[in-house]
Amino acid sequence: MASVGSESGETLSLNIMPMLDVFSILILFLLMSFSTDPVSHDVTAGLELPESISIRSLDENPMITITKKDIRVGDLVVTGLENGDVIESNRTQGAIAPLFKELEKLAEANRVRKDLPVNLDGPQKDALTVEMDQTLSFKLLKRVMLTAQQAEFVAFKLLVNKANDG
Amino acid sequence: MKRKRKGSSIEAGAVELNVMPFIDVFSLLTTFLLFSAVFIQIGVLEVQIPFLSNAKPPDFQKPERILEVKADLSKEFIEISSSWTVAPIDEKKKQFPRTKAGIAEAHKELISIRTAHPDLDKLTMFTDDEITYKELAEVLDAIKFLAPGETLPPPKDPSAMKNGESQPSLFPKVIMGSVML
Repeated sequence: MASVGSESGETLSLNIMPMLDVFSILILFLLMSFSTDPVSHDVTAGLELPESISIRSLDENPMITITKKDIRVGDLVVTGLENGDVIESNRTQGAIAPLFKELEKLAEANRVRKDLPVNLDGPQKDALTVEMDQTLSFKLLKRVMLTAQQAEFVAFKLLVNKANDG
Repeated sequence: MKRKRKGSSIEAGAVELNVMPFIDVFSLLTTFLLFSAVFIQIGVLEVQIPFLSNAKPPDFQKPERILEVKADLSKEFIEISSSWTVAPIDEKKKQFPRTKAGIAEAHKELISIRTAHPDLDKLTMFTDDEITYKELAEVLDAIKFLAPGETLPPPKDPSAMKNGESQPSLFPKVIMGSVML
């Protein structure tokens, strides 16, 4: 019990036991809910993910982020969006030209990292992780996937919020 | 906090236990855990898109008879269809409204297809452009995963079972068929 002396000579006692109880319970709760996911990622500001019953955890940070305003590869904004679609000047045959350039660089970097021939035929083994706002349409996702297909990425991991009961 | 030491020959009188360092450690631990806690758990839905392969082409003289399952997703309906690659094609189509109940019915239909054909693991999905990502995720959940309590018969080929898979899958391989040049 902590105590403090007053001017009049009386000792005021502060019972800190309830506070310790609260602290203990809080720590217990936080330790129980501590995430063991291999990667912790903060959802991009202004972006809302849909809920899913998937329990498969995120194992790498998202490569492509599609917000209501733009598309990013990592932190680099590759194109802006207008009415939920890519601005016309950046569209080519259903795909997105600036995104293709970035993904091509990424594909090449992956091959160098894995010591594979640069002109290797066939698709990339790595999946592209895509974070996308839940209100955006499949039309936009299709454009991104088409672009990725041209850069030989054929597998995708779409980010979702794990539903509480999932 | 006052404690009297048992068995001590010295009369200790009032012994005060200093709990302040304990509180300091608790405070720091609480702060650290609050900052590092992840309250929103992020998961992933794995999908694939069709691609051109340089693998050996199939033998057109003796084509393999495989059951193909497709899901067509539009604003109003989900259509589940199945057909064989070689005659008799035996095409079956069922349409469900794109509501919560309709998605649940489509999920049951997919379970019955998987129950009849335990080796199936691939489904091709065709999606309308207007479908939002939220709507797509709802349907992907119904296609890819089994709810708690739902079971499937084991595949005839035991090597088809993935080791260490923690969530029971209905159709683990979903191909986004609409993504074609």
